[in-house]
Amino acid sequence: MTDALETLRQDVRRWLAAHAPQGWREYCTSNEAFLDLQRRWFATLAGGGYAVPHWPAEWPGGGRSLAEQKVIYEEFARADTPRLLLSFMSTYHAASTLFEWGSAAQQQRYIPRILEGEIWCQGFSEPNAGSDLASLKTRAERQGDVYIVNGQKLWSTMGQFADKCLLLVRTSNEGAKQAGLTYLLLDLKARGVTARPIHQIHGDEEFAELFLDNVEIPVEDRLGAEGQGWAVAQSTLSSERGLTLLELSARMRGALWRIADLIRAGGRENDPGILRDFGRLATKIDATCAIADQFLANRIAGEERVGDASIVKLSYSRTLREFTLLGLRLGGMDAQYHEPITFGGGMETGNWMADFMNSYAWTIAGGSDEVQRNIIAERLLNMPREPKSWTLAGDAA
Amino acid sequence: MSMTRAELQDAAHKAFDPADLVPDAAKSWGLIAEMGWLMMAVPEELGGLGLGVEAAGVTHMALGRALVPGPAIAQMLVITALTAADGLPERDDLLTQAMGGAVMTASLAGYSVAGGLTCVPDADRASHVLVIEDRRIALMPVDAQTLTARATWDKTRRLFDIAIDASATGFTLAEGDAATALAERLQAQRLFALSGDSLGGADAILRLTIEYLETRRQFDRPLAMFQALKHRVADMKTWLAAAEALFWARGNDPAVTLAEMGALKAHTTTVYRTIAEEAVQLHGGIGLTMEHHCHLFLKRALLNCALGGDADQWEEMAGRQALAQATA
Ligand SMILES: Cc1cc2nc3c(=O)[nH]c(=O)nc-3n(C[C@H](O)[C@H](O)[C@H](O)COP(=O)(O)OP(=O)(O)OC[C@H]3O[C@@H](n4cnc5c(N)ncnc54)[C@H](O)[C@@H]3O)c2cc1C
Repeated sequence: MTDALETLRQDVRRWLAAHAPQGWREYCTSNEAFLDLQRRWFATLAGGGYAVPHWPAEWPGGGRSLAEQKVIYEEFARADTPRLLLSFMSTYHAASTLFEWGSAAQQQRYIPRILEGEIWCQGFSEPNAGSDLASLKTRAERQGDVYIVNGQKLWSTMGQFADKCLLLVRTSNEGAKQAGLTYLLLDLKARGVTARPIHQIHGDEEFAELFLDNVEIPVEDRLGAEGQGWAVAQSTLSSERGLTLLELSARMRGALWRIADLIRAGGRENDPGILRDFGRLATKIDATCAIADQFLANRIAGEERVGDASIVKLSYSRTLREFTLLGLRLGGMDAQYHEPITFGGGMETGNWMADFMNSYAWTIAGGSDEVQRNIIAERLLNMPREPKSWTLAGDAA
Repeated sequence: MSMTRAELQDAAHKAFDPADLVPDAAKSWGLIAEMGWLMMAVPEELGGLGLGVEAAGVTHMALGRALVPGPAIAQMLVITALTAADGLPERDDLLTQAMGGAVMTASLAGYSVAGGLTCVPDADRASHVLVIEDRRIALMPVDAQTLTARATWDKTRRLFDIAIDASATGFTLAEGDAATALAERLQAQRLFALSGDSLGGADAILRLTIEYLETRRQFDRPLAMFQALKHRVADMKTWLAAAEALFWARGNDPAVTLAEMGALKAHTTTVYRTIAEEAVQLHGGIGLTMEHHCHLFLKRALLNCALGGDADQWEEMAGRQALAQATA
């Protein structure tokens, strides 16, 4: 087993030596360059069979064991390859939701196109529906065999570049707010769709706002039944909270050399305080890798509990924050001088201020840390929920 | 013999009910021997059960969970050392006695002191004590004259100092390079055991704290309804789950280094300490009394932090190793 893994490691390493893009950090300082590089790199990976190791075996490039996936991700991190940000939502969120909820026809239609480079984004959040996602208002009215959709979506990662969108809409106002939701697959080229990019805190245009004005979506592009949207959305979110973190925590492990380089550059290899901070960080990263591994093993064995993914995500987001803070601290004044960011550079680029700010993506997106804590306390540990009704002083009159 | 982790856990919980904290010392020791826990790691051809890391991990967690007193960790170190002492004619006899529960003990300290041993559990009941020197590991008879009882704040453990009588003859278990290698294995085993004990204890006190928050009412609602407290509980659960995952990952990693085991112990004891610390706070006044169980966990957690080398020492060593390995 270990021998086979070592062989795989050498194979991946050899393949990367021949194929890994060089100089991309310098190159990717504009959207055009970012898109160009991401598209080429994804195509190269798909050709080499390394784009979707986490997919089931019946799809090309899939069927890798967890141990194999880890080896692949570690080698990618080690070779400092670009993270697949542009196709991230496609290969994880869209694919895993389609595998779980898509009909055979929907899978045949959409999955192969992902491998050909079709880009998906996720349209869940709205201006007034963030943590309280189920309160969303984007409305879909059924007319014959189409839905007519009106509303606004916010924070859609890669939304301005995407071809398709995982769209959560309201089809009914009856009953519990979750019960009125439906899950649709939106073609962003459709009439009535406008995307406006939004600049993130460190300058990247990572997400967008989507305006939907009488957009028609065929009924055949619905995932699950009408009113089942909340359940379908859980599978999208759980892929984000658990599955991707195997890759990301392995990447964080593989990026420890960036901090080690700072320690060496500062001549602090024998500073006990720094060594302890570094040792503690390495241990926490290993613990995050271990819990991500365990989560996936349980998931594959059908033993995932509600809240397990939240533990993985919270563990990752807090550790990533510590990682970037240690880099920022060791970077000293150098880290305070503005450096242009690398578009799509990943979570650990060595541009420490940008990395630190970017780490909020994991403490806010996909359900904030506070929301994960609610889930762990109320759903996994069964602690009582907040009382539903409340009034603010002044509301009474 | 092989059992799954869940089966092992089941058996362990039947022996030591997590609801029965700090069970009677003599009864517990009898039960530990009866359950075969002392022979668990010994190969079948030497009369043991030939169980591996999973069994050891589950056992130490169960002992930690119920705050079981007694010298189990020390005794298991002696047993490992005896198992390795192939050349010693008296080996099989000694091993049989030790596996049967005749107390033989060892130091749980993280450092050595000239002329003696510290942090030796239950030395007053022990016939022998393990002495680990630079190039020699020996099992020495215990002479009551050389013992000093050191009452710790943690009343679930009984520690002694022992002055070593250089003229006494004992059994040499390993010498030279073999002794150095065995000493490192014993150190790793001690760190793993203390980690398991800590994770078991942390799990128990976290559960008890949640139960308390669910029962105690203030402001016309259970305390567990306050988000400020729920979020602290969720953090604790997260640290604990990740630390437990690391415990199994490192325990099962054949290439694990001593520094990594040390960092595991530093991490798990820190998690235990933090959870026990929070438990007292979240219990309010009752948590600060001897009448309630919180203090038992807090004191054992703090002792576990100090035994086997402290976090500063291990984190520094782990940092040095990670630094050497982390190259682009
Ligand atoms: C980088 C990034 C990428 C994103 N990508 C996407 C995407 O592709 N598609 C998409 O649909 N959405 C996306 N989002 C949106 C994301 O899901 C939301 O930002 C997130 O759910 C939080 O909602 P909000 O921003 O409205 O904050 P709010 O919900 O208004 O929260 C504000 C603060 O209040 C806290 N809070 C809220 N409710 C509670 C509560 N019940 N208990 C305690 N504290 C609470 C929050 O934790 C936070 O600290 C992205 C966000 C970011 C930052």
